Amino acid sequence: MATTAHPEPATQQGQPSYHDVTRDIAATLGNPGRGYFILMAFVLTVLAAGIIALLVQIRYGLGEAGYEPPVMWGVYITSFVFWVGIAHSGTLISAILYLFRSAWRTAVYRTAEAMTVFAVMTAGLFPLIHIGRIWYFYWLIPYPNQRGLWVNFKSPLLWDVFAVSTYFTVSATFLFVGLVPDIAAVRDHVTGWRKKLYRITGLGWRGTDQQWRHFGKAYLYLAALATPLVLSVHSVVSWDFAMSIVPGWHETIFAPYFVAGAIYSGVAMVVTLLVPMRKAFKLERYIRLEHFDNLAKLMLLTGMIVGYSYVVEWFMAWYSGNAVERASAFYRQFGSYWWGAWTMNICNCLLPLFLWFKKVRNSIPALFVLSLFVNLGMWMERFIIIVSSLAHEYEPYWMHHYTPSWVDWTILAGSFAWFFMWFLLFAKNFPTVSIVEVKEIIPFPRKERARA
Amino acid sequence: MSDGMNRRKFLKVLGVTGGGAAALAGCSTDHVEKLIPYLVPVEDQIPGIATYYASTCRECAAGCGVHVKVREGRAIKLEGNPDNPINQGRLCTRAQTALQGTYNPDRMQGPMAKGADGTFKPISWDDAIAKVATALDGVSGDKVWFLTGNERGSFAELVDEWLRALGSSHHVTWEAFSYEAARYANRALFGLDALPTYAMDQAKYVLSFGADFLETWHSPIEYAREFTASHAFQNGKMGRFVHVEPRMSLTGMNADEWLPAAAGSEGAVALAMANVIMGEKLSATPADARRFEDALKEYTPEAAAARSGLDADTIRRVAREFAAGPSVALPGGVGTQHPDAHATAAAVMVLNYVAGNIGKTVVFGAGATPAGGSAYTDLVNLVEAMNAGRVQVLFVHGANPVFAAPQALKVADALGKVKFKVSFARFMDETAADCDLILPDHDPYEQWNDFEPRDGVHLLQQPVMQPVFTTRQTGDVLIDVAREVGGTLQKQFAPASPDAATYKDYLQGRWKTIQRTVGNHDPFDTFWRNALKQGGVWSTPRAQPVRLVSGAAQVLATAPWAPPKGKLTLIAYPSSTVYDGRGANRPWLQEMPDPVTKMTWGSWVEIHPETAEHLGIAEGDIVDITSEIGTVRVQVYVYPGLRPDVVAMPTGQGHTAYGRYAKDRGANVFALLDAKATVFGGVSHYAAVTLEGTGDHVRLAKAEGGTRQLDRGIAQAITLAAATKGDYRAWEAQEAAPIPERVKAQQESWQEHVDRGKDYGPYKLETTRWGMSIDLSKCTGCSACVTACFAENNLPVVGPDLVRQHRQMHWMRIERYFEGGGDKPLEARFVPMLCQQCGNAPCEPVCPVFAAYHTPDGLNGQVYNRCVGTRYCSNNCPYKVRYFNWFDYSKKGDPYFAWPEPMNWLLNPDVTVRGKGVMEKCTFCIQRIRGAQHEAKLKGVPLKDGDILTACQQTCPTEAIVFGNLTDPGSRVSLLSEQRRGYKVLEGLNTKPAVTYLEKVRNVVEA
Amino acid sequence: MSRAIGGAALAVMVATGALAAQQQQTSSAIPPDSNWTAPTSIDTAALKGPVQPIFFRHDIHAGQYQIDCKYCHSYAEISMQPGIPSLKACMGCHLIVSGSGPLVSDSNNAHEIQKLRDAYNNNKPIEWVQVHTLPPFVHFPHMRHVVNAGLICQECHGQIQTMPRVYKYSSLKMGWCVSCHEQRKVTTDCTACHY
Repeated sequence: MATTAHPEPATQQGQPSYHDVTRDIAATLGNPGRGYFILMAFVLTVLAAGIIALLVQIRYGLGEAGYEPPVMWGVYITSFVFWVGIAHSGTLISAILYLFRSAWRTAVYRTAEAMTVFAVMTAGLFPLIHIGRIWYFYWLIPYPNQRGLWVNFKSPLLWDVFAVSTYFTVSATFLFVGLVPDIAAVRDHVTGWRKKLYRITGLGWRGTDQQWRHFGKAYLYLAALATPLVLSVHSVVSWDFAMSIVPGWHETIFAPYFVAGAIYSGVAMVVTLLVPMRKAFKLERYIRLEHFDNLAKLMLLTGMIVGYSYVVEWFMAWYSGNAVERASAFYRQFGSYWWGAWTMNICNCLLPLFLWFKKVRNSIPALFVLSLFVNLGMWMERFIIIVSSLAHEYEPYWMHHYTPSWVDWTILAGSFAWFFMWFLLFAKNFPTVSIVEVKEIIPFPRKERARA
Repeated sequence: MSDGMNRRKFLKVLGVTGGGAAALAGCSTDHVEKLIPYLVPVEDQIPGIATYYASTCRECAAGCGVHVKVREGRAIKLEGNPDNPINQGRLCTRAQTALQGTYNPDRMQGPMAKGADGTFKPISWDDAIAKVATALDGVSGDKVWFLTGNERGSFAELVDEWLRALGSSHHVTWEAFSYEAARYANRALFGLDALPTYAMDQAKYVLSFGADFLETWHSPIEYAREFTASHAFQNGKMGRFVHVEPRMSLTGMNADEWLPAAAGSEGAVALAMANVIMGEKLSATPADARRFEDALKEYTPEAAAARSGLDADTIRRVAREFAAGPSVALPGGVGTQHPDAHATAAAVMVLNYVAGNIGKTVVFGAGATPAGGSAYTDLVNLVEAMNAGRVQVLFVHGANPVFAAPQALKVADALGKVKFKVSFARFMDETAADCDLILPDHDPYEQWNDFEPRDGVHLLQQPVMQPVFTTRQTGDVLIDVAREVGGTLQKQFAPASPDAATYKDYLQGRWKTIQRTVGNHDPFDTFWRNALKQGGVWSTPRAQPVRLVSGAAQVLATAPWAPPKGKLTLIAYPSSTVYDGRGANRPWLQEMPDPVTKMTWGSWVEIHPETAEHLGIAEGDIVDITSEIGTVRVQVYVYPGLRPDVVAMPTGQGHTAYGRYAKDRGANVFALLDAKATVFGGVSHYAAVTLEGTGDHVRLAKAEGGTRQLDRGIAQAITLAAATKGDYRAWEAQEAAPIPERVKAQQESWQEHVDRGKDYGPYKLETTRWGMSIDLSKCTGCSACVTACFAENNLPVVGPDLVRQHRQMHWMRIERYFEGGGDKPLEARFVPMLCQQCGNAPCEPVCPVFAAYHTPDGLNGQVYNRCVGTRYCSNNCPYKVRYFNWFDYSKKGDPYFAWPEPMNWLLNPDVTVRGKGVMEKCTFCIQRIRGAQHEAKLKGVPLKDGDILTACQQTCPTEAIVFGNLTDPGSRVSLLSEQRRGYKVLEGLNTKPAVTYLEKVRNVVEA
Repeated sequence: MSRAIGGAALAVMVATGALAAQQQQTSSAIPPDSNWTAPTSIDTAALKGPVQPIFFRHDIHAGQYQIDCKYCHSYAEISMQPGIPSLKACMGCHLIVSGSGPLVSDSNNAHEIQKLRDAYNNNKPIEWVQVHTLPPFVHFPHMRHVVNAGLICQECHGQIQTMPRVYKYSSLKMGWCVSCHEQRKVTTDCTACHY
């Protein structure tokens, strides 16, 4: 549109200039305000409560949680699966979309990626919290010992140990590598202890061509490395259940079903995080409606897959002709956990259908609310899969109803606090939007002039 | 062994060190332990090796022989004594928990005297005995009374002589359940104040009128054995068992046919059957039975049907089947505990008489009088005497009338009128609390004593260890008192050399006479030693013929029980676990699910679903039950095995004292019963009551989840007809869900796959595979195996709160499933469910640390100290037989600590005590397997079939459980497992269980 | 120095003795050469192993006087536990044997034996400190190792007969058990010991 040369042509068409980008994003790192500290204080309090609950449980025994045989897994494993799931969209957005060269990811991937790392860090806690003798957790790791004992590689739980640790390593590295140029960029805008921090974490990035070349390669390879994890990790998690003989768990569809669900919940969580952050950090110019629109579409897609999986489960239960399987499926929908089942059906299958409408996709509040429902629904899905299946197994004499105790809930709340603590720290100390990549997609002003 | 007491003087020292036993904590091999040697070695005690002493169980009047397993001077387990003629090596639920009486933390630790302020203070034995002597000083003999529980033997005689020497004859024997009605009937019919033995094993047709012979009636173990002999499915044949009672008791659950006759109408039914038999001349009726004809006239099947609510044709049919014999009819249980019960009992005896069973299956003179000659009226007289001030000194031993007699009798108040009351109670029970002096007796396993459950059977008790507390044997106390008092007493009991006279001397003196009566000519020492070794001496007394006395028929004139309009009949039935309340302080008995209702910790009222609905009451509601006598508040259990016009409540709960485990649990049903003695001198256990909801509701502490097996073929049964046809899969047709045509193909191919996987993966078992077979046609659901397992494997009790969350630790549990109901007859089935030791176990591959793994001898090993507690194994166990330590039950000071001193002395040193956070389960008593293997290896001989008995198998009264090596084709277990009646639970999962169930066979009338 | 040599000599003899013992399939303490006398020693921290209520000298009993181990630990061949001698057993000898020897830091054998006699006369058992302790979830059958495996005591307990005060010779850790079981090709099934 610009007709004459203009000092900042970009601004005219709402496009930030390179300078803006660096400035705006660096601005997010300024000294935190009161709101931030209040939020942080709240988070830390909840975390403390969670830790106390955990200590109580360790002192007196797992009985402090609401477990009721035969339901031997409850809120903890539910939350484990939930958090691992959350982690997924991060890698999907950052790695896979990167390989597909989809431009819109640039604004959101940093957030997603950070979320991934912290979600895995949270998820990783739960297997420990849930075992009976947490002080022997290291027996789950194959290490040489005087007893000459080894671990059982047949056990899906052991696969988990590897899946999660791998996932954490890769996604953490990926996040960090991506950060390096940005750190360097902001390094020059800040002062005080942050400067020190960035000088170290910046790894002496100077932005030479050689560095850029290496960076590009490394990033590409890491992306390629991370991509299969998106599929593998949650498949492995799903096998914790699929490999068992528990009716309602023993299903071949579980791996794809879980992966879809994971991405679904992950994207929802990204939205949940982006909306307030965008507001707080005034990043409207970078995280724009089109981004949300795309995220919403991704949600819609994965949500539909999840919904489809539910239907397939019902169908298989009926088609198998297996009385136990049928009973379990029926119990799940209409048994003593009907409320959970229908929460998950509605939140995960029905509500997302609104995303067919562009209006909804482009209304930030609507998306935010929707994303919250999906988070709830997906947590409930895992709860129902785990608890209702266990509560209604083969032995009718031994079918009982489980209700979580205050310890379960407090530790769950604590896990959210733990997650948000890390996220808040990150958001204030590292660029939550990739400066480099945002710049990459800003059209060169020169072009404009040429056209004129 | 004879002077074992002194020899074991210092064992206790070692006992203490061993006592703390073996929690899973502390993995280090460096922590400091103390080693405390004997001062004096004991020739029959070797550390690490168990010694067994023969003794006698005194839990009830049956007189079962036990072998007490002693390790390092501590009794740790009871096993049946195979020599004993009554239980022949088997024990019941209650006997298995007896040691929890011995090691009960609430036991009296020494003599106590009530001070002026009404509280008890410990005193020395010498002072205590002096107190008694002074109390007796100057009291005229006939003002001294002695109340004991059922005692037949030296102690009873000592008491009698002792009283006589004091010039008293007031020795009152009293038991809460003592079969007065039956004895009254026998007096009236045959002029015999005796109870016959019922030779059930001789009968092919057992007809019980309320007799709960599998629970508490007379001699449950013995009758369970005889019943099985008659009723178990053996080589294509089995007897038939019909149970007539308004409530389906455990015994009723084992019946092929349950006839819910109206409360109190059993007599009419019996007479109607007699009527049919005489009318149709179905059996060789003795000539003199004709004098019943007039009496019987009115009892047509129709009349009886009208009164009982049964079907006249059913009555006719049963009568004919009964007459076909050989048969036996049993009067008993609560059926003979109501105002009209003497008539009922008589009617049943008449039925036996008419069918010509007397002398065949109903034998008099064989002396089956377990409950002794006691009667409720004796207690009533005592109370009257007390109220009238005719009692100055009262001694109470082994009886708790304040609790177990109808509360309306006001025994406590009466006691208040007695100047000096001495209790010999081992626990602070309700009666002891009202006494002035408590001289705690030894536990049965700490004392010398004998017991005569029936004529001709003399059983011995010997001390198997140093007394736990400073208690003293009552016999000795009486003798010491005699010494103190002097005079005649002194002369009689403490002759020339005072120290010589102990109760043991008295006992041996009496056994010298016994030796003569049994015609044994060995020197006494040999005789005594052998008697001790085999637990006693016995001879079978000869039967005695009986004839009707004139006017026998009068007893049949009945005043049938009829509750006023709008009221329900309450049946107060004897609990098969805590009995009349004496078992209520045994945590194991409290936590063991009641065989019928699967309820734990407390009492409840059973209400028929219809009645409940009609009253607007749901399970777990708290209701007030009100009779003319009183009101109790109790939780509701909705039970289909009940007539709608009847509610039932177990006895034995609602203690106000008696220790931490008994106090304030449930309600005492005796508060509802009439104190007035019935015609036959007993208590009426029927009461007309009204129920009223209080609006309160609790979650029941019951062990079970679902009561229906959802067509999963877990508890399988077929009809005798099908069995004889050899159609052992008939149940599938009846029960299994219809398989859709389209999946048939898949199923077949799967089946092939299953067959291919016969010896699955790494689990090829060349040498040994331990296995078990459980015959459901023998299993009566009595749950003796459950408590046996508690005792053997150090299972903690978790208490009612955790039972509500189903966290109880029952490695062996009896699952009870209902079939039918509604318009179809209600049927109950039992499945003892323990770890199936799968050959292809789902629990093993999922354990990340190999804590659950497959042993070379085919067990699902569980290495407690390796377990980290992921609990995946339990999730993946289709049988749900893995139990998790949610709390530290073995850590002193923890909220759910299960072994308060000295209860921890019970712990089996061969079994690890599990700490918190680990999974545990049954491994076929692996400690016994390893023990036997060690023994065999030391001897250098191979293990034989039957060398190893698991705890459950050892105690099973009906020998339903058989354990052994499946790879040995000759072993009993492999023979049984190959029977076509055998099936595996949830076979379709291809878990290859080592436990084979032989399906139940029901001798029902084909419609 | 001299003691060191003695020790070396001992080791050799032990080895030979071990072989002999294994052939005759039952265990016994290997006597050092018959004229070996236990050195005077005092109950100080200098010695390895925990201090015991009585300074009981295995080196004197099993070493110098060559008393068979099973004379006191009499159940080693029949029971899981070898057992420790009752005080009566001790008194069997020490009614007569009252010990002698030079007074070292105002104590000598006589003093120690007096302690024993006092304990016996006052019916007070002696609380020995257990040196070889296994965690309670391990079940170690002594008799199987002594009788069937034919191990000699020293195999696990070290040169007891030269120890003035007994100390833990072997680690008694699981790895130690298992390695031996593997060498001898005997069961390494977990439930052989853990149940």
